[in-house]
Amino acid sequence: MATQTPVSPVADRTTALRPSGRMLEVLHEWVTTVDHKKIGLMYIAYALVFMLIAGVQALLMRIQLAVPNNHFVSPQEFNRLFTMHGTTMVFFVGMPILFGFGNYLVPLMIGARDMAFPRLNAFSFWIAGFGGLLLYFSYFAGSGLYAAGTAPDVGWFAYAPLTARAFSPGHSTDYWTLGVLLSGIGTIGTALNIVTTTICMRCPGMKMSRMPLLVWLYFVTCCMVFVAVSPLTAAQIMLMIDRYLGGHFFDTQAGGSAVLWMHFFWIFGHPEVYILVLPAFGFANEIIPVFSRKAIFGYPAMVGATVGIGFISLSVWAHHMFSVGLGPGANAFFTFATMVISVPTGIKIFNWLATLWGGNIHFTTSMMFAVGFLFQFLIAGLTGIMLSVAPFDWQLTGSYFVVAHFHYVLVGAILFMIFSAFYYWFPKMSGRVLVEKLGKWHFWLFLIGFHLTFDFMHIPGMLGMPRRIYTYEADRGWAMWNMIISSGAVLQAIAILIFVYNMVWSYFKGPVAGPDPWDAWTLEWTTTSPPPAYNFAVLPTVESRRPLWDLKHPEDPDSNYE
Amino acid sequence: MSTAAIVPHGTSEEWKLPSRGIVGMACLIAAESAVFIIFVVAYIYYLGKSLSGPSPHDVLELPILTTICLLSSSITVHFAVAALRKGKTSMCSLWLAATVLLGSIFLAGTGHEWYQLIYRDGLTIRTNLFGTTFYSLVGLHASHVIVGLVLLALALVFSLSGKVTEEHAERLEVLSLYWHFVDAVWVVVFTVVYVLGR
Amino acid sequence: MDIRSESGGGHHDAGAVHLPAPTAWPMVLALGMALIMTGLVTNGVIGLLGLLLTVLGSVGWFRQVLPVEQHEAVAMQAEQIQIYSTRVSVDRLAIAPSHRKILPIEVFHITTGLKGGIAGGIAMTVPAAIFSLIKYHSIWYAMNLLAAGGFVSWAGASNAFLAQFHPEGLLAGLAIHIVASLLVGLLYGAVLPMFPWKPILTAGFLAPLVWTGLLYSTLNIVSPILDERIDWFWFIMSQVAFGLVAGFVINLQAKVRTAQFQALPFAVRAGLHSDATLKTEERDTPQ
Repeated sequence: MATQTPVSPVADRTTALRPSGRMLEVLHEWVTTVDHKKIGLMYIAYALVFMLIAGVQALLMRIQLAVPNNHFVSPQEFNRLFTMHGTTMVFFVGMPILFGFGNYLVPLMIGARDMAFPRLNAFSFWIAGFGGLLLYFSYFAGSGLYAAGTAPDVGWFAYAPLTARAFSPGHSTDYWTLGVLLSGIGTIGTALNIVTTTICMRCPGMKMSRMPLLVWLYFVTCCMVFVAVSPLTAAQIMLMIDRYLGGHFFDTQAGGSAVLWMHFFWIFGHPEVYILVLPAFGFANEIIPVFSRKAIFGYPAMVGATVGIGFISLSVWAHHMFSVGLGPGANAFFTFATMVISVPTGIKIFNWLATLWGGNIHFTTSMMFAVGFLFQFLIAGLTGIMLSVAPFDWQLTGSYFVVAHFHYVLVGAILFMIFSAFYYWFPKMSGRVLVEKLGKWHFWLFLIGFHLTFDFMHIPGMLGMPRRIYTYEADRGWAMWNMIISSGAVLQAIAILIFVYNMVWSYFKGPVAGPDPWDAWTLEWTTTSPPPAYNFAVLPTVESRRPLWDLKHPEDPDSNYE
Repeated sequence: MSTAAIVPHGTSEEWKLPSRGIVGMACLIAAESAVFIIFVVAYIYYLGKSLSGPSPHDVLELPILTTICLLSSSITVHFAVAALRKGKTSMCSLWLAATVLLGSIFLAGTGHEWYQLIYRDGLTIRTNLFGTTFYSLVGLHASHVIVGLVLLALALVFSLSGKVTEEHAERLEVLSLYWHFVDAVWVVVFTVVYVLGR
Repeated sequence: MDIRSESGGGHHDAGAVHLPAPTAWPMVLALGMALIMTGLVTNGVIGLLGLLLTVLGSVGWFRQVLPVEQHEAVAMQAEQIQIYSTRVSVDRLAIAPSHRKILPIEVFHITTGLKGGIAGGIAMTVPAAIFSLIKYHSIWYAMNLLAAGGFVSWAGASNAFLAQFHPEGLLAGLAIHIVASLLVGLLYGAVLPMFPWKPILTAGFLAPLVWTGLLYSTLNIVSPILDERIDWFWFIMSQVAFGLVAGFVINLQAKVRTAQFQALPFAVRAGLHSDATLKTEERDTPQ
């Protein structure tokens, strides 16, 4: 079976250029592009750069906390570090990297030539990109909390009234608000694009019930973006009105409410966790079946569970606010809702296990990260259920236990799945496979580093170590644990360096991938690696959930069974 | 087998997908609705919580005339789309002009109301919580009206210069969807601010 | 903004694909908006520059899509893509026939359950009335007992009181009886096709017993007055009456096919092979 593309009668008009002219040409091509693949790659590259920056910030914090009574950075600098680390990782790493993969993969997987609104796609990327640059410009131009600082230092959830003019003079908080506002506009634009693409651009035969699960998960994620990110945008506008026009939304002196900001922020903040984790689930849904050599177990249940998570996640936000004192009714409701969300999540975990069960499992690096994700996500979910119980949360909220819990989700689950996705789709994006040997080093070092850091981070939390403290005294009994945590962070940093090296080396010298290195089943593997600008010479037509299975096994296609 | 990387399409069923413009606009409306909901919630939450006057009851008057204008502009924009679908471009221009006129009357009404509030009643965005929430909610809506009016005016200009033809009907429909949304938001704002909150 | 082009984001003719033309205007617009924001935190002049770029970007973008969307032709390279699997053998998971999930190929329509519930509800009143007449010499006793759950003031009522006729008792009793009968009828309609052997008999006896057990353990919370005076023998009798009649009525109705039926091989659907269950066992996706 083969694809025959008509020979082109259009002449190649590219003329030989001098190297500098060539550079400009390439730059021009990338700046003006509206191609979803290039925009996706720009999203990913941009997110990786910010990931390195925010990773360095994390390392600096871990160096500061490694030993008691340390003075490696100043308290003011420490405030800026955790604010910028959190904001960057959520808004300028997590969202762009996931949208980058979404941009790249969704049109390919549904057999489309581009996104529904290619120019809006470019606009969304650039405005999110400029948002990140604006936030980091504060390091040069902002003036901070103690009139000496630069970057924002109010924490990533910027609780009122700390953000009021009286407590945050200068512009550092404005940089935070504006940077996040810009990235929010880009996020909504891209989400709108992905939803419209999914609904309107599917190739013939690609019914909703036949879409790859990754596309389904992106679809649900982007629908959630509308109802989750918009409230944050609204709250940011209110904060701007307070700070610039003298409004009183969060001004407690004039009757405004600080708790209202908490509500608005977490109405965004909790669904945001699911917005980040659902695409990671999507990667798992594609990668685990391919390396188990089995069709995904329980496709309709997976879709149902995803939609269920989408809805339930909108009604759990106040579990971040138990310590406010919401009253027994609200506490009971949000405890219950938070526990209920573990049901669809559990369904997903069981479905992945059932997909692995009896499969012919291939432990490529990608699959190893996916398996790591399964176990770590389970543990993260279990500590999540512990924290959903209001009395337990009262004891541990604001402690390192919470920090350990959400890093277990964000690193142990989401970042592991992102690495898995890199190993899986890098061949499609670059035409070359990432070197497996380096990948194994990356995996094992990162796994050990991750567990050293985040397993042991639960313990000082339970011993009473609050989050966001700049240093601590030696007699608290936290010193040994913090040393272990910091050494794990160093291991993770080494693993990341290996990963970066692997990407650069493999891009130039890695084994050539060919169109379908993993013997996979979704449409992106029918085209060349990297795909041409038009993706598919002939728009494909599909008859089942695994179109490539049908091609590879014409004697026994999936469409007979669905 | 060397023909195509595609599975032969067995059934010859029609493959029809919804229009991109309308789905995209529906998504935008969903996102915008969430923004408005947050502002409305803040308005309701802060009702009666102002520490000083003036209160809504003292200063707000029912903007009935402008409301009628805005709501009827929804009907005129609908007629404009319907006329364009039938290819009657001059009728379309007429209805578009009516829409722009009605929308402008609404905007002028809001401007007059604000002028009165600021200079007669001394209510600004800094005065109290009512001022903050009122100006931001009504102002957010008014900014959407302005965006809609600019786009409608552009459509009117192109329509008058004869550049709008039947094939643009779908784009105009997308724009009209946005305008209907702006009107629907006003129904909510009117109910909350002027009827229930007064 | 850009609303329509050919489906699939591009169309192709004679070896070239038309894709949206590259443009820098979206980037200019984004830069303009970002600079307006930057103007807020730095200097108004930058904001003005941003405003200028925003207007420029909007106009430029507008001209990209109106009156017609701009396209560029991208040449298609001739390429041959082999789609093949390196793996030659396909393994089926061996699943014993007993492991197959039994899905109903046909189910009852939703109204069937309601009909069964109504019939069963009427049938149930017969043993209840007999019980009332024999034990308390009043036909209203069982009804009032059922209604008592809805009236707090009836908590300490005497047997004589319960034996009299009360219009509010009639209303409450009827409401409770009708709602419960309809809901249980719906449940019967849903589960009946799944009982493997003599559905009317098994469902008619098994379900009342399960239901009675559930009520037995919870009744003192739901309705203490009923719990005090209930006669479990007669209770089970009326439940069984309900079960048998409802099951009988439901089974008389025609079934409708489920989505599962669509997945059967054509021969079975067409009626060439009558043994549908056997065929579903053979049918097994390559997992």
